[in-house]
Amino acid sequence: MKTRPFILESLLAALLIALLSGCAATSQRQSSNASPAVTGQAKRDGKPVKPQGDEVDEYATASVADPLEPLNRAIFWLNDQIYTFVVRPISKTYDTVFPGPVRTGVYNVFDNVDFPIRFVNDALQGNFKRAGQEGEKFLVNTVGGAGGIVRLSDRFPELCNVPAADTGQTFAKWGIGHGIYLVLPILGPKSLRDTVGLAGDYALDPVTWLTLYVNHAWTLAISCPDGVRTLHGKLSTYDAATRNTLDRYLAARTAYIQNRKHAALK
Amino acid sequence: MTLRLLLLSLTPLILLSGTASASTEAAEKLLHSAVAEVMDATSHAPNSAALAVSVRPILEKYVSFDSMTRRAVGPGWRQFTVDQQKQATRLFTTLIIRTYSSKFTPGEIPTIKFRSAVSPVTGRVEVPTTVLYHGNYDDVTYRLEDEGGWRITDMVVEGVSLIANYRPQFDEQFKQGGVKAVIDSLSRSVSSQH
Repeated sequence: MKTRPFILESLLAALLIALLSGCAATSQRQSSNASPAVTGQAKRDGKPVKPQGDEVDEYATASVADPLEPLNRAIFWLNDQIYTFVVRPISKTYDTVFPGPVRTGVYNVFDNVDFPIRFVNDALQGNFKRAGQEGEKFLVNTVGGAGGIVRLSDRFPELCNVPAADTGQTFAKWGIGHGIYLVLPILGPKSLRDTVGLAGDYALDPVTWLTLYVNHAWTLAISCPDGVRTLHGKLSTYDAATRNTLDRYLAARTAYIQNRKHAALK
Repeated sequence: MTLRLLLLSLTPLILLSGTASASTEAAEKLLHSAVAEVMDATSHAPNSAALAVSVRPILEKYVSFDSMTRRAVGPGWRQFTVDQQKQATRLFTTLIIRTYSSKFTPGEIPTIKFRSAVSPVTGRVEVPTTVLYHGNYDDVTYRLEDEGGWRITDMVVEGVSLIANYRPQFDEQFKQGGVKAVIDSLSRSVSSQH
């Protein structure tokens, strides 16, 4: 009579083990999202065994269709010249003329104003917890941080590192692929999907809304600081991706695709 | 019966967590030492050039540049002679050290939060970290492999793997002119970039 309950217990335990291993495998796949694909391997202790010796093709990365490569390379070269002769001097002048606290304040204000881009996209991705965190951040910084000049939210552990959502990322979460790779004039590496996403971000940006109601002079006065504030960071990212490489164009393309994949998994 | 069922259910959980921490502990320990030494060098370096010089012996101690070069080059590695492999590794090592050291500003130490390590395959451990540097948070994952002793074999910054980023570049050079083109392009990059 005791056999049946024991069988039942064993079956339940086996089911739980199967579930646990499934969860563990899933969580490992998610946490090591940048992990190279390891296929066709032998297993030891229930785990795949890492490839040995010359089995080195596991680092073949996911690529992106680049049918416009000659045109993209030309725009990449042109962008590089623009960055060197126009953008870097503007960034350097801005860094020299305005003291650090002023630059930080300008950065924080516009970053805070960009709140709808992040909030709406978090909601569209079904990530309501993160949308709530963005809402809290906006309130804390606007009210407690003097209109966003001070990023007071950095003092709260749950609000200091909320990954920023954008429309291209939302498309990725919806399962839409990159389409083709593009290098946009001045803006640089993008995929077709993320270029469409950029239009979404633009539409969600309150700075865009404001410029619809003011004259050209005010449009410039509002848009310029918003553009200039991010130059330093963008140039640093560009340099990090393209320096010490064999082919700057390929390096920027691969870094972009890998980084966007990571952003969509955050 | 409920208690027995609970115990039966929990046993695999306890076993799983025990195995995971035991297999990752040695790798994590090595990584902590490597990071501590690099941070120490960064805090004492007067400028970027000095930093690149001072982190070199540290990285050579903890990083497997042989594996990194072999993986970055890919299947074409088999066509390299032993001397060519040594030359490519030496050149690639310089590029990697420059790339790595350029991420730090001498005298400024990042805050690093180590998260739970995972072992996706036997002999490999991945340690995810969150790095706070210059006001930005970055996800940095260190990959380590057991090569008769744990060594760092890749670093993934915000999803960008150091090795995977070089792979298409090596592939392109290899397609254009084989082993010679790969080594020439490495030499050009090493001599032209600072």
